[in-house]
Amino acid sequence: MTFFVTLVLTGISVGSVYALIATGLNLTFWTTRTLNFGQGSIMMLCSLGFAFLVMNRISLPLAVCLCLLVSGVIGVVVERLTVRPALKRVGSMGWVVSTLGLGILIQGLAAKLFGSQAVAFPEILFSVKDNIRIGGIALSLQYVVVIVITLVIMAALELFLRRTRWGHAVRAVSEDAELARVQGIPVDLIVVSSFVASSLLAGLAGLLAAQIGGTVDSSFGFDLVLLGFVAAVLGGMGSSAGALSGGIGLGIITKLVGGYISTAAEHGIAFALLMLILALLPNGFLGRAEVRRA
Amino acid sequence: MRRIAYLAGAAVVTMVAMSGSASVAQTTAPVKLGLSAALTGPFNEFGEGIRRGAEVAIEEWNAAGGVLGRKIELAEVLDDQLVPDRAVQNVRRILDNPDIVAMVAPGPSGPTLAVVGMVVADGRPMCNSQAQTPTIVHPDGPDKPPYPNVFSVAMSVPAEAERLGRALTASFNNVGLITESTSYGKLGADLIKKSVLEHKPAATVTAETYNQRAQDMTAQLVRLQRAGAEVIVFVGLGADAAVLRKTMTRLDIALPLYGSSGLVTVPFMEGVGDLAVGVRATNATTFGQKPFSPRTQAFLDRYRNKYGTDRWYGADPENPLISMAPLVTGAYDCVNLLLDGIKRAGSTEPKAVVAAIDKTKDLPGLLVPSISFTPQNHAAFSPNDLAIYEMKKRGDKLALEVISK
Repeated sequence: MTFFVTLVLTGISVGSVYALIATGLNLTFWTTRTLNFGQGSIMMLCSLGFAFLVMNRISLPLAVCLCLLVSGVIGVVVERLTVRPALKRVGSMGWVVSTLGLGILIQGLAAKLFGSQAVAFPEILFSVKDNIRIGGIALSLQYVVVIVITLVIMAALELFLRRTRWGHAVRAVSEDAELARVQGIPVDLIVVSSFVASSLLAGLAGLLAAQIGGTVDSSFGFDLVLLGFVAAVLGGMGSSAGALSGGIGLGIITKLVGGYISTAAEHGIAFALLMLILALLPNGFLGRAEVRRA
Repeated sequence: MRRIAYLAGAAVVTMVAMSGSASVAQTTAPVKLGLSAALTGPFNEFGEGIRRGAEVAIEEWNAAGGVLGRKIELAEVLDDQLVPDRAVQNVRRILDNPDIVAMVAPGPSGPTLAVVGMVVADGRPMCNSQAQTPTIVHPDGPDKPPYPNVFSVAMSVPAEAERLGRALTASFNNVGLITESTSYGKLGADLIKKSVLEHKPAATVTAETYNQRAQDMTAQLVRLQRAGAEVIVFVGLGADAAVLRKTMTRLDIALPLYGSSGLVTVPFMEGVGDLAVGVRATNATTFGQKPFSPRTQAFLDRYRNKYGTDRWYGADPENPLISMAPLVTGAYDCVNLLLDGIKRAGSTEPKAVVAAIDKTKDLPGLLVPSISFTPQNHAAFSPNDLAIYEMKKRGDKLALEVISK
């Protein structure tokens, strides 16, 4: 039982990071039907920048704020330079290459700026030695904090979307941007805000994931975005609850496969299972079919 | 008629003079060496280490007058970022340069395996300073003939496995292995398992793998815990070792942690800080034995003068990092080996140089204290060139200390 519970708790923690990334991807999907494939570089830049700021004696809270601020600014750049031009042509898929290209550019610049060696990532809220025991099982507080932060952010996002005027405006843009514009909703502002929020979530996910790994370098983040994308699709593209269930589901499945079947085939078997799930539930756990206007 | 004879005579004199000056140019031109290595990118600790080691050796030779009366030059230094395809392009460029007389192999096994075929086909000598896979020099096994022009001074996986097997079976009956899912990791797992079972046939060995850059190793650790492992043995890179050590701490797994040389590199120590204390790993004896030999001390002084106490040397001038041996001194030994071969051959002609290196006997080195080759054996490093180190806290600093030679 201890074996099973340990795997599940780790899966929930790792999956929470995937869920945050998936939510970031969902935010831009809602407003523009695009995804920022450069999210990994924002995660990297935020976590690597944080490590360097702390190394240079900047306080932890200030370093977090500065890194998230830079992440938000990059969100604006992503929207202005890579997505908006592509969306001017109906049906253009140029944003796929542009967002990925910007991500690779950021990665190259970070390698030049910070060097390409892995650097130690400082402990933010808890030390790796801090844990609590539940029924004889050691549960790391670093894992707990990842889960709690993810749940709080998801809940806040849901409240924002459902209970605030701006949240309703985002949903209106998501349903029909042209109609929303006719009704006086500042669509452009909402679109750019969605990219800023998406980048902030990516930066935060980077900080949480880097804390678990303990080191960070300029290549950090790309694998995680792939898993976040899988989580978003598994949960149902565009659904907040789906991102949470998809991320945590993916985390638990990979850990259980690794624990009970084979660590060598952890991702292979887990992804085969995901293909099966998506064959049975093409829109993911909580997604709904896209309705196209004639 | 006299005029024609005069012109013909002048032409002959000019041609003789020109051939003479060409010959002089030939014999005074620098002896050129080449290398491709990961000079940038996430693995540049390997490639930059090779470059620095090679440059120190060349500086020493040039200070002593060069080789065959000619200066030595590192003429082609190309960056492959540890990507095999780039290493192939770089080595093609190096081999297309007829002035290059010998080369140092790219860093770890992936790029070196990718280029070894080209180098063998070309015939010019290549020395491997870091790649640990034995098939780089002995493609059909250690008892079969090596590639004729490829030589290795690198710490090898078989040597590390043998040394670890000896140390592990002295204290443990149930060994848990965690190795990276690369050919290097798989070879390490197979050889450590073989070595453990040779030394203690009744021992149990359980092996798990991880993908490089994994962020968590819980599944691997709980499987080994369930298998009753008394010790965890790691084969992989330092940054991944940091993830392993942190995951062990989070899960409150207090088993001893042993590993190959990758375990005690700078990324590991920086990544885990004091959690590194107590970790044991194999590494070359080069900088573990004090006092240093005059040869080792001379190298360290020259290195410090040239590069200072850099990332490879470490911050403490008196105690260079143990990991500097495989990362830097291997290339230093390689350049010395190649130039010693050229010197004894009295020529830069590839066949003559290879034949001379084949007869290398007890050449003093740093990574390998005494380098010897025969036409049947092109791998100089042996398990006796390794020690088992333990990470200890010295004041507020972490340091490796030899616990078993």
